[in-house]
Amino acid sequence: MQQFFNTALTGLTLGMVYAAFALALVLIWRSTRIVNFAQAPMAMLTTFVALVVIDAGYSYWLGFVAALVSGLVLGAVIERVVIRPVEGKAEINAVILTLGLFIVLHGLAAVIFGNRYRSFPAPFGLEGLTVGGTTIALNGFGVFTIVSVLVVMGLLVALFRYTDVGLRMRASAFNQEVARLLGVKVGAMLTLGWALASVVGSLAGLLIAGGSLVHPSYMDSVVVFGFVAAVLGGLDSPLGAVVGGLILGVSLSFVSGYVGSQLVALAALVILMLVLTLKPGGLFAQAPERRV
Amino acid sequence: MTRHIRGGGPLVAALAAALALTACGAGGRDSSDGEAAVADPGVTDDTVTIGGTFPLTGVAAPGYSEIPTGAKAYFDYVNEQGGIHGRQIEYIVKDDGYNPTTTSTVTNELVLKDEVFATVGSLGTPTQASVADYLNDEGVPQLMVSSGSLQWGDDVENRPLTFGWQPDYESEGKIIGQWVAENMPDAKVGLFLQDDDLGEDAEKGVRQFVDDQIVAVERYTSGNTDVAPQVSGLQAKDADLVLAFNTPSYTALSQLVALKTGYKPQWFYANIGSDPALVGSLLERFSEGAVAGSSAALDGVMTTEYIPGIDSADDPWVELWQQVWDEHGDDGELTNYRIYGMSQAYAFVQALEAAGEDLTRDGLVEAIEEGGTEWEGPQLAPFRYSADSHMGISGMRVVELEGGVGEPLTDVLVTDIGDAEITTDDSGQADDAPPEGGVPTS
Repeated sequence: MQQFFNTALTGLTLGMVYAAFALALVLIWRSTRIVNFAQAPMAMLTTFVALVVIDAGYSYWLGFVAALVSGLVLGAVIERVVIRPVEGKAEINAVILTLGLFIVLHGLAAVIFGNRYRSFPAPFGLEGLTVGGTTIALNGFGVFTIVSVLVVMGLLVALFRYTDVGLRMRASAFNQEVARLLGVKVGAMLTLGWALASVVGSLAGLLIAGGSLVHPSYMDSVVVFGFVAAVLGGLDSPLGAVVGGLILGVSLSFVSGYVGSQLVALAALVILMLVLTLKPGGLFAQAPERRV
Repeated sequence: MTRHIRGGGPLVAALAAALALTACGAGGRDSSDGEAAVADPGVTDDTVTIGGTFPLTGVAAPGYSEIPTGAKAYFDYVNEQGGIHGRQIEYIVKDDGYNPTTTSTVTNELVLKDEVFATVGSLGTPTQASVADYLNDEGVPQLMVSSGSLQWGDDVENRPLTFGWQPDYESEGKIIGQWVAENMPDAKVGLFLQDDDLGEDAEKGVRQFVDDQIVAVERYTSGNTDVAPQVSGLQAKDADLVLAFNTPSYTALSQLVALKTGYKPQWFYANIGSDPALVGSLLERFSEGAVAGSSAALDGVMTTEYIPGIDSADDPWVELWQQVWDEHGDDGELTNYRIYGMSQAYAFVQALEAAGEDLTRDGLVEAIEEGGTEWEGPQLAPFRYSADSHMGISGMRVVELEGGVGEPLTDVLVTDIGDAEITTDDSGQADDAPPEGGVPTS
């Protein structure tokens, strides 16, 4: 029973990290209509920025903020410098470009920060919490992970649903020309979308790094799982991304614990295939008419 | 134009040799048909060129990338004293990122472009397995592979040019298994295994002794860093002694997960995953969360030792390694991985010395097969090299870590694969000291 409970709890925290990453993908999808494969190395870079700050003797939280701020800047700069020249062309151009970025950023991080494993501190205790005499597989940092992802999801829903900026971002993503005619500064909106997505991605990076080991490719498995989570949720819905992340995290944890850890990647693909076959638009797709 | 002619020479020779081999159906040794005048590739009167592939980048790089720096330092030290039989050792190191496809490519480069005499110390089970047949077919000795898989030594007929170096995982599993059966007969044993040769070979050895004590077996896939489900599995079966056969990063990861789930068994990590300095540096940052920092991180953990490491600074071998590193090393401290590289390099130098002045690949292989078991070196137990077995070091001792220092729990125990008995080593290898000058003489 304890194993079942612990496996579920570790799956839950892991699922929340996938969710955070999926949220970043959803954000960029909603605001620019492309999928950003470079999200993971971008988050990895900003996590290393946090590590540098913390290594210099400052507090964890200063490193945390530094990572989010550098995420904001990095996202904006990459959109302006790298993505902008291909915007308005076929979407596949931008997607391939992000794949290229993936490799470049990886190499860059290895050159600047080195290739070895390093431990990344966590702001809360790493020992499991005790409930009624037994230790459960959830520590302070796990709670922090769950809470912060839920908060971010809430903020994104609010952004897109209730604010003017959110509406403009969606407008410029759907139809640049019409949006421009209506007075939306499309360029600025695209930059903003990238910048915000990069901040959320950085958060995911920090959450998965906390209390564990980092190296330039530590986010790589998260790319795949985060992407699956986002697609499960329909790529368009923040709530869907979180639910998708949770489903994936918990089921993969059970597969690893009860079936075999070599089947984890396979299981993720099976889940993806099942969902895409039974509900092609993802679990939370809301507007099939858009598919025309 | 001349380049073409020069480049063509060895190729033609290789083709001719290959044809001759196919004709007589031999297993890959060439130049035994009276062409003594033509030297083997990689050898001149004053140099011998060897190569090695290692993960210098990527997930396997931590620790392992230091091995060739140690070997290089020792070769430089030997070269400074005039080399072996007047030959300077030139050591070419290539990065394979622990990816077997890359290993094939860079090994090809070593053989065809750099024309190495042999590969020495190349690292990894999946990586070296991908080139073992190629090297044997090409007649290039694959010496002292840095891996404890059985396949470097248990099939001499098919791989006559391949040699292991470190103790194999099965023998290690046997020695650990017997120790547990004798000293902790009531322990409920859990196995934490890497899901490849490492875990498989070790499990075979362990089960010979504690089969009925094992209550749980969990396997993790290298590359998947979430081992919480595996650790929970061991905990659920109430295993109070965990025998772990894993790489160093996974020692750190399993300790972190155990902390999270409140699991406190006795841990017994196999040698490969128990370097206190490396694991300690990985866990250092978490000291506030009740993991002791640096070298004390693994206090009370049991493991095994087959060469003296940095924790025994006044061992005469370690004193030699320290001197070599101070004089010829790169930046950074002397580490156990660098000592590993140096110890291996020492064995290769012994082989060169034994092969005599007329250096050929055949002569070298023969010298190792004939004399290998007698060589005194840093290893605590003798090599098992013979015409029938190319297995490396034959044993190790069980130790308990305290402040990064291994306190011996047993004498040096030696054994072999299969049902060979485990005995106390009487060769005195553990007590020898390096020769004057630090270079082996025959």
